[in-house]
Formats: sequence, structure tokens, C-alpha cells
Amino acid sequence: MAELASYPLLSTLLALPLLGGLLTALLRRAPWAQWIALASAVVTVLCSLLIVATFDGTDPDFQLLESANWIPGIEVRYLVGIDGISVLFLPATALLFCGAIIAGWRISPGTTTLAPGVYLALLLLLEAATLGVFCALDTILFFFCWEFTLLPLYFLVSLWGGAGGRQAAAVRYFLVMLAGGVPLLFGLLALAFGHAEEGQLVFDLPTLLATPLPERTQYIVFLLLLLGFGVKVPLVPLHTWLPSMAMGAPAAVTALLVGLKLGAYGLIRFAIPLAPIAARDLHWLLAGFGTVAILYGGVAALAQSNLRSVLAYSSLAHVGLVLLGLASFSVSALQGALLQLLNFSVAAGGGFLVLSFLHRRTGSTDISQLGGVMRSMPRLSGFFLLFGLAGIGLPGTSGFPGELLIIVAVLHSHTGAGLAALFGMVLAAAGFLSPFRQAFLGPLRNPDVAAAEDLLPRELAVLLLPALLILAVGVYPLPILEVIRPTAEAWVAALAGL
Amino acid sequence: MSDLDALFSALAASARLLWLVPLLPLLAAALIAVRLLLRRGGGDAGEPITAGIASAAALGALLLLLVLDLAALGGALPERVAFAEWLRIGAVPVRLSFMLDAYSLPSATLVALIAWIALRFSATYLHREIGFQRFFLGMCLFLAGMLLIVLAGNAVLTFIGWELAGISSWLLIGYTWERPVATGNALFVFLTNRVGDAGFMLGIGLAVWSVGTLEWAWLPGDGSLGKVSARLLAAGFVLAAMVKSAQLPFTPWIARALEGPTPSSAVFYGSLMVHAGVYLLCRLQGLLLQVPDLLALLAVVGLATAVYGSLCALVQSDVKSALVFSTVTQVGLMFFCCGLGLFWLAAGYSGLHAAWRAYQFLLAPAYMHLVRRPTRPVPRWLATRRWWYTAALQRFWIEPLASSLLTRPTLALGRDVRALDERFIDPLVGAPRADEYPALGDPGDELIRGHGLAGRVLFNGANRLQRLENRLLLSGDGVLGKHLQRAAHYADAIESLLEQPRYLMLMVMATFVVIL
Repeated sequence: MAELASYPLLSTLLALPLLGGLLTALLRRAPWAQWIALASAVVTVLCSLLIVATFDGTDPDFQLLESANWIPGIEVRYLVGIDGISVLFLPATALLFCGAIIAGWRISPGTTTLAPGVYLALLLLLEAATLGVFCALDTILFFFCWEFTLLPLYFLVSLWGGAGGRQAAAVRYFLVMLAGGVPLLFGLLALAFGHAEEGQLVFDLPTLLATPLPERTQYIVFLLLLLGFGVKVPLVPLHTWLPSMAMGAPAAVTALLVGLKLGAYGLIRFAIPLAPIAARDLHWLLAGFGTVAILYGGVAALAQSNLRSVLAYSSLAHVGLVLLGLASFSVSALQGALLQLLNFSVAAGGGFLVLSFLHRRTGSTDISQLGGVMRSMPRLSGFFLLFGLAGIGLPGTSGFPGELLIIVAVLHSHTGAGLAALFGMVLAAAGFLSPFRQAFLGPLRNPDVAAAEDLLPRELAVLLLPALLILAVGVYPLPILEVIRPTAEAWVAALAGL
Repeated sequence: MSDLDALFSALAASARLLWLVPLLPLLAAALIAVRLLLRRGGGDAGEPITAGIASAAALGALLLLLVLDLAALGGALPERVAFAEWLRIGAVPVRLSFMLDAYSLPSATLVALIAWIALRFSATYLHREIGFQRFFLGMCLFLAGMLLIVLAGNAVLTFIGWELAGISSWLLIGYTWERPVATGNALFVFLTNRVGDAGFMLGIGLAVWSVGTLEWAWLPGDGSLGKVSARLLAAGFVLAAMVKSAQLPFTPWIARALEGPTPSSAVFYGSLMVHAGVYLLCRLQGLLLQVPDLLALLAVVGLATAVYGSLCALVQSDVKSALVFSTVTQVGLMFFCCGLGLFWLAAGYSGLHAAWRAYQFLLAPAYMHLVRRPTRPVPRWLATRRWWYTAALQRFWIEPLASSLLTRPTLALGRDVRALDERFIDPLVGAPRADEYPALGDPGDELIRGHGLAGRVLFNGANRLQRLENRLLLSGDGVLGKHLQRAAHYADAIESLLEQPRYLMLMVMATFVVIL
């Protein structure tokens, strides 16, 4: 392993989907273009697993650092590295993209005349940008990757989206995210200027972390970053793009969008540690947003008429719980929050993949159009049930340890919000099982549902992996939590030490 | 004598295999699930294999427990065994620890025995049913959950069992999932139980912070626990116990739970799961004895439930409902015993009652043949009191009350929130809606279009600036008046937006944030 650690693994990881995407785009007409896409996605998964294997779980610092000059004039560097917070997101991302690519194998052309190869190429481009977000340790590089995710997403949604207002959803997402990027950029620039000594701007995260800002500036930076990341999280008044994307985007793309909680990651990585005093003072703001999201998402999910928007709103509630955990600034809550984020990328991602399979068969995920899905598609329904139960934190699934850790910590730090989270537990159960009952159980109502066939072997393979992951982590969560622990301890200690 | 000692200590060595007891049914469930996924074991040929897997697991657990019982009789068994660490909450480790005391061993043995008998019974009872495998999957999950509840040495493990029992009861009540009534009842039962689970979670959280341990053995603390924190801590667990044992005001779920196949009703609501609450109270006795007011509450609730159950039982017209309400009565009496501090009595009572009730429930389908007498009428003293009679028939209106106080407002709130999103937040954020997006082929003379408040403000601002420019440059009459009128018009529009009733909702939420 020692010689591996000196090899530029992270750059390889970023380059693989990028190259695969370019190749797929060039050869998009070739019948085997899809195989290139799949191969590069699989190799990316292997590479990410190699990185996890190389990762030293006892070291709280950044590892596998790679650095190169990028824009020398203003000290912007290509600086990538991982620590206990980000390392597990890499395989989660790679796996989810692999699933999305298999799910988009025979994507219906929608209104476009482009070859399906372009769709896969865009997915791979998105994968590279997303992995970049998780690896980047230079704030400008991070911002670049962050905004770069928008481009492929816009085309994926507006060209291959569902009938329900894909154009509108794509435009809305693009505009809202661009608007969110403005405070983010200002926040990052304020950081760079705030640290500027001897006229030198600072963009690299380790240096920024080592030299905290003056207190005044911290408040400005924290609020700017909270707003910028909050759009993506999403925080409650800024959340309406999520259900509209869930309805308008191709379901496999929604799986990526909902499954990968980039906004919450941004808060953990940048907003809180870079403005620690402000974050600690404004903990009530985080907790308040979290509580509102839990209750709002939980209640709103009860009134949705489409399975996709049900999942979108319950993911709003999920991420609210994560915010609440962050607000308590304790090791166990941070571990729980990260585990919960990983769990959602598997559970919500898997859930949306199932819905994409369902949509392809029945042409709808509207609850009133379904009913009795269990009769014609028992396996598909079983997987959806498992993913949903992981979402509501049933013991034995990976949703439970994270939820337990967060709620226990929050009951101590914000008792009222903790009680609200307990109420959210009940709401979440109702918000999943009630639509499940209406859509999957009961008598058959729709001939399309009756005629649909159950999961194909290819689809079964896609779903089996997340299902096994959910069960494995649910049965024995300790190894994953131990990988996160040293970094989590350092993260909390840096906050408490001020 | 020394031979006997040697034998006992040899038996006690099997305590190292204790983790197998809940694991065996879990493995059986996994095996059945895999067979279900691979579409193996359907049809007549597969049935004995499925049933065999399940009952073998139950029998294995039972035999292991019997060996342990024997070792315990010889006094060679430790009270508590702990295996690997499973999780760590801050500084509090959660181990795979098990209790092997006079409460847990007899209860576990009884659980395994009744479950084994019920599984054997179901193999013929459910012959050629469509959901044969699904039923055994649910039963194995339930058995694992129940064994965890009684054997677990700490609150988290008990909670895992608690939830496993809950989800398996959801699976089995909704066994005939094509009937909306069955799935509706399953949902109702699961959600009611989830309230208790939230209470359990509260107990776990408070235990971590106020006592610093989750092991049942040390949970009562060393007496230094403050009155308030002890009360809160116990209250969470007591809520969980009350829900699981269907005490007032949570009783309605149990009558709805009878929708499932008879053998599952027998083990869940007749004999085993309904006693889990009593068992939890017995586990907590060290803590509960520190808070006499909660004990008094338990006694009152238990007594009230007993009266309620017996009144309702008298007017039921089918045998399963009558049995389940008399079960509720008996469990209420057990709660009463706990409230008086007689935990040993409640534990013994629950064991005896479980055994008897399991027999009765399994026999229930055959009563039609066994009973020759006409059904007993409602007793005279109840039949003549019209109010009491109606109340008993209506089950004291608990369910409609809960539905109008809790369920319906929550659902209405859900609709309100949805409307809030669609009518208010969307327009405010300025996202183009699907229905107002212009058709691609019809751009008209429109160059740009503003969406929502932000968009419209920008759009109108631009228009007005342009018009202002035009007017100032080209003409000069009546500009001011017109613009004032226009401004008033905009103010009106904004006001009508603000007047939407959804604002109230926002206020409530804001208050929530501030309070916390």
C-alpha cells in the first residue's frame, strides 16, 4: 500500500470518468459507446474502492494530497486530498453513477435526436465534477467543480426529462443554483481576502483552517456560505426546485441529485470549520433550519400525489435531521450525520432508481395511476420497500445507526429540536408507508401496471448492491463509523478549542 | 456432586453461543427472503422447506435456551454476558450484551416455545396460501425481534428488537395486501407503535446523557440521579411500554391488528408482543421504584385499561375480538401490578397468561366446531345501561377522537404546506411553472418574461425604466400621475400576496424555531 499512496490516485479517479465521458461523446454513434461508458464507470468504482483501501483510518489529517499550480498569478492551485469526512463519499458517488448509467442503458430519446451516448457522456462528466467537489481542497477549484455540475445537469434534464415540465425544471434549477453560487463565491473570496497577509490571497483549505478569521468577518463568511450551500441543501424556503426537479428530471438523474447531498457536505467541509466562532454562535440557526426542514418535509410528504415528489420531500426531512446533527457539534452527531448522508445516497438513490424502472414500465409514478404494483412486480416492490425502510431508519438497515446517533446527541444539545425530530420519526414513517400502501398494495387498477414485467436481471443487479450495502451497514455499522471518527474528533476539537 | 458441577459448568459454556439465539431466526428470515427473491420454494414442494427452515431456527433457539436454563438452575451462569462492540455513542459503548437473569431466561424460553408451536401450526394452517413464504419471513423476523427484546442487555438492542417486532407486525397485518382494509389497519398499527418507538428513543437519549450507560443492569444509576431526570428518563420508556402493550389511550391499535392470519395474531397480540411492555417495565423496576408518581400513573392506566377491556370484551360478537379485549384486560391488570411495585407478580402473570392465550388463539378458528352452546348474550347489567352499552360498543370513541385530534389535522397541514409551496414560495422564488411556460413555437412580441416576484420586479423595473426614458426623451405630459397609479396597483398586488392564509403557517414555524 505504501507505494500506492505516492501514486496520484485522486487525479486518476477524477480523470477516469472525464476521459470515459469524452470517449463516449466522440464515439456516440458506435453501438459499443455505452460499453465504454459502463466500463469507465466500473473502473471508477474500483479506483474509489482502492482509495478507501489505501486510506489510513487512524489519521485525522488530509491524505493522498496532490498539488499543482493552476493559476499562478493569484495562488490558485489544483489541490486535492481526502480525509475521514470525504473518503466514503467517493465510492458512494461512483456506485450511484454506475447504477444511473446502467439504469439509463436504453434511455428513451425524449424529444431529442441525440444519440444515447451523449446522455451517458453527460452523466460521466457530471460524475467527474461531483467527485471533484468531494476531493477539492482549494476553494476556487471547489467552486469550479461545484458550478460545473450545473452544466451537464441542465442538458440532462432539459433534453431527457419527463413530460412534466422538464424545461421549466431545468431552467429553474440552473437559475436558482447560479443565484446560490453568488453568495458562495463572495463567501469564498471574503475568506481569501480575510487571510491575505502581505497582499497574498489564500485559497487552499489547510492554510485557511490553520489561520482563523477575525470574529467579525466570520459572521459574514458563515452567513454567505450558509446561504450559498443552503440553496443546494436545500433549506426550507429555497427548496422548491427539489420537487420540481424530481418531477421533471429523468428519474436516474434525480437519484443523483437527491442522493448526493452536496450542500450538506459543503456545510461540513467549509462553512462550519472555516467560520467556527460564528458557527458556534449561530448554532440555533442551523438547528432551526433543520427542525423546520424535518417538520416541513415530513408534513408535506403526506400530501403529495406522486411518488417522486414524496421521495423529494422526505429527503428534505432527512437532510433536516443532518443539519440538526451538525448544530449539536458533537463527535457522535457528526458521525451520525455523515453516516446518514451516505445512507441517503444509497437509500434515496436506490429508491429513485426503482422509480425510474417503474416509470419506464408504467409511464407514470403518479400514485393514482398505480396500485397493486406488488402483484405484477413483487421484486421491484420489495426493493422499494427496503430502500424506504432504510430511509425511515428501521433497525437492521443503515438508516438506524445514523438516526440514533443524531437524535441522542440532539436531545442533549437542543432538547426541543430533538423532540421535534422524534415527532419527525413518526411523520417519516407515515410519509413513506402511506404512499407505499396506495401505490404498491391494494387491488390492481391500471392495465399498464398489470401487464408490466418484473425486474430484469440487469436491473436486479443494479439494485442488489445498494440493498446489500444497506443491510451490511445496518447489521454492523462500527467499521464505517470508526473510519469517520478520527476526523470527526478533530473537527469537533477545532470548534471546541476556540 | 462435583460431577454435577462439572456438567453445569460445561452447560454454562454454551453461554458463549448466546448470540446465536436471536441470530438463528434472523438467518432463517434472510434465507427465506433470498429464496423469495430467487423465486424458489413456491408451490406445494417448496412449502415444507420454508416451514422447515423457520421451525428449525425456532427449535434451535429453543434448545439452546433450554441448555442455558439448565445451567442457570445449577447456578453456573453469569447474569450478564457481553460480546463485541456494536456502536459507540460519544463515550458510551453499545455492546452486544445479553441479560441471563430470572426475568429474561424464562421469558425467552417461553417465546421460543410458543413461536415454535405457532410455526408448526402455521405450516398446515396456511397450506397453499399465496403468501406462504412471506408469512414465514414475517414470523422469523418477529421471533428474532422478540428474542432480542427479552434477552438484550442494553436499551439499543432492545429497541432493535422492538422495531423488528413492529415492522414484522406491519408485514403480517397487511398479509392480504390486496385488501385496502388490511393494509390500512397495518399502517394504523405501525404508526401507533411508532409513537411508542419515539418514546423509547427519548429514553435512550436521556439515558446516555443523564446516566451515562445504556446497559439495563446499570440504568437505575447509583441513586445520585436527580428526580427530574429520572422521571423524564422513565417516562420515555413507560410511553413505549404503554403503546406496545396497548394500554389506554393507545388501545385501539390492537383490535385493528387482528386482520392478520390467526397464528400471527396468536403470537403477536394474543401472547407475546403484547406482553413486551410488561417485560420492559420489569426490566426497569430499579428505575421505576425511584419515581413513585409514575408508578401511580401506571396503576391508574392499568386499572382503567382493565375496566375498558372487560367492558368492550363483553359486547364483541366474534371470537378473536373478544379474546383480544380480554387479553387487554389481563395486561391492564399486569400494569396495575407493576404500578403497585409487584414486578415479580406481573412477570409471572404475563408468562402464564401468554401460554394460555396462545392456546386459546390457536384454537379460535376451531371454536365454531367445538362450541355447541349458543353464544352467551351480553350480561343484563350492561345491556340495561344504554350509555355504557353504547360506549362499550363504540370502544369509547377513542379512535374517532384520535383521528379528529391528530390524524386529520396533520393531513390538513400537509395539504396546506403543499399549497404554500405551490402558491406562495414558488411564485416568490420566481421559478417558471410548467403551465405558464410559453409554448416554444409562440414567442409573440415578447422579448423577455419575468417569473415570480423576483422576476416580475426585475421585469417591471426594466419596463418602467425604459418607459421613463421614452417619456422623458420623447414626450412630457401626465407621466407622474400614471406612474403613481401604477405604483398603487403594484402595492395592491403585493398586499394580496401577503394576505394569503398560508402566512399563518409560516408564523407558527418561525415561532417553533425561536422557542427552540
